[in-house]
Amino acid sequence: MPDTSFSVEMVGGVPVVVTPGEIDITNADRLRAALLEAAGRGPGGFVVDMSRTQFCDTAGLHALVLAHKRADAESGAVRLVITGPAVLRIFEITGLDDVIPHFASLEEALAATSGRTEGN
Amino acid sequence: MTAVDPVPVEARLRDIQSITDAALSRLDERELLAELLDRTREVLQSDTAAVLLLDFSSGQLIATAAAGLEEEVRQGVRIPVGRGFAGRIAAEHRPVILDRVDHTTVLNPILWAKGIQSMMGVPMVAGGRVIGVLHVGSLTPRRFTSDDVELLQLAADRAAAAVQSMTAQANRVAVAALQRSLVPSALPAVAGAEMAARYIPGSGAVGGDWYDVFTLPAGQLCVAVGDVAGSGLAAAVIMGRMRSALRAYALETADPAEVLGRLDRKMQYFEPEALATVLYAVIEPELDQMHVCLAGHFPPVIARPGQPGELADVQTGALIGAAARAQRPVTTVPVPPGALLCFYTDGLVERPGELIDEGLDRLCQAVTAQPPEMACAAVLGTLVGNEPARDDIALLMIRRHAGRKTDADA
Repeated sequence: MPDTSFSVEMVGGVPVVVTPGEIDITNADRLRAALLEAAGRGPGGFVVDMSRTQFCDTAGLHALVLAHKRADAESGAVRLVITGPAVLRIFEITGLDDVIPHFASLEEALAATSGRTEGN
Repeated sequence: MTAVDPVPVEARLRDIQSITDAALSRLDERELLAELLDRTREVLQSDTAAVLLLDFSSGQLIATAAAGLEEEVRQGVRIPVGRGFAGRIAAEHRPVILDRVDHTTVLNPILWAKGIQSMMGVPMVAGGRVIGVLHVGSLTPRRFTSDDVELLQLAADRAAAAVQSMTAQANRVAVAALQRSLVPSALPAVAGAEMAARYIPGSGAVGGDWYDVFTLPAGQLCVAVGDVAGSGLAAAVIMGRMRSALRAYALETADPAEVLGRLDRKMQYFEPEALATVLYAVIEPELDQMHVCLAGHFPPVIARPGQPGELADVQTGALIGAAARAQRPVTTVPVPPGALLCFYTDGLVERPGELIDEGLDRLCQAVTAQPPEMACAAVLGTLVGNEPARDDIALLMIRRHAGRKTDADA
């Protein structure tokens, strides 16, 4: 059975949500909960590592957008790690690639997040 | 204080069980609750019984059914969760027994004015959350026992399950009705063009797909297609609001970017949690040009006569609800005589486990410049076939007639 769970771990003081292979209506609630937890643990911002994710439907995008807007309102930031071509494509089609900052590797996303935290 | 004449618990239990089982199948919510309250009163030998259901949007308990306490319902009593007797039960998710009923223990004056001396109430829980409160009262002082609490809880559990299933059923009916009312009952008649549309509800929970076609006073033909994230009644209601807001803005300006920009601002202000993809296109009265603005939606497919269909090369802006002051680029697409335009929602092209481009390729191959009804049939035959669609599908085809009358579609 494919792993469908979400984990939140701290990497160098930054919360990182690791997402499973597929995000859709069946597990979007758990994504939402993980994003809330990460937001609580990292007021300066957090990273969503989607490098294992190959499919993300509208329910998943919805959760990510809400997390991004919440963080934005509290002057934090959500940064995504996206490597799967299907996920990149859906971000392109929905215009979200211009809305939520995303990176090709966890290192880059973390660098942007901790750089920002120090800047503050 | 007196304990009430003991009736064997098993017999009392059977009483409650029998009414709710039978009731589930034949009564509506109001009748079921009325019957349940009568029986509860009988079984517990109480003078009053009442059900308050939680209104999730206001966080208030609303008196919905009552026996021996009908004025509570007639006066539309509302109790905030956390306050008073019923409010406490809902907030704490546990039974409460009152041996004194006055303004210090009970918020609703009807209860103490009525002369109720003792009360017992339990939460109605469905799907792990409180959906209401069931309470009984006695006009003479009385000590409610733990057996009484158990019986009342049993009645409340059954009532909760029944209310829940009726609400779900009512929601499904409401969503279906809402969706039917939101899809144009007839497509507008436009000289020089022909159109056809399909709306196919998904096999899962009904979602928030919609399409709309209308003409502006100056003669432009306008097309909107959208998909609201989420499902069920909540998504359908948002879809309805978006559809009418978009129509209102369309009357104010012929610029698609302006229409979607205003729609986005309106949604972010009044429905900050909503997210939706929308395509809005304005086709010139001469039908030779289409101005398209995409808010995170798939581009239309255009099939020119004698050529395979292709995705219109249209720039995209962010979904509605995603970002403040999103860019709203408009692309003008030439529409030659005889060309067919195809608008759709993601349910048509998305399949789990494949790139979206594969679905889009399949769609492009299936769209050819032919009469719209036939084009709809061909596309659905190829992309849906005999598979029940998981997600909703909205599909709209518009064909510009070929130039000369003799070339017009039969």
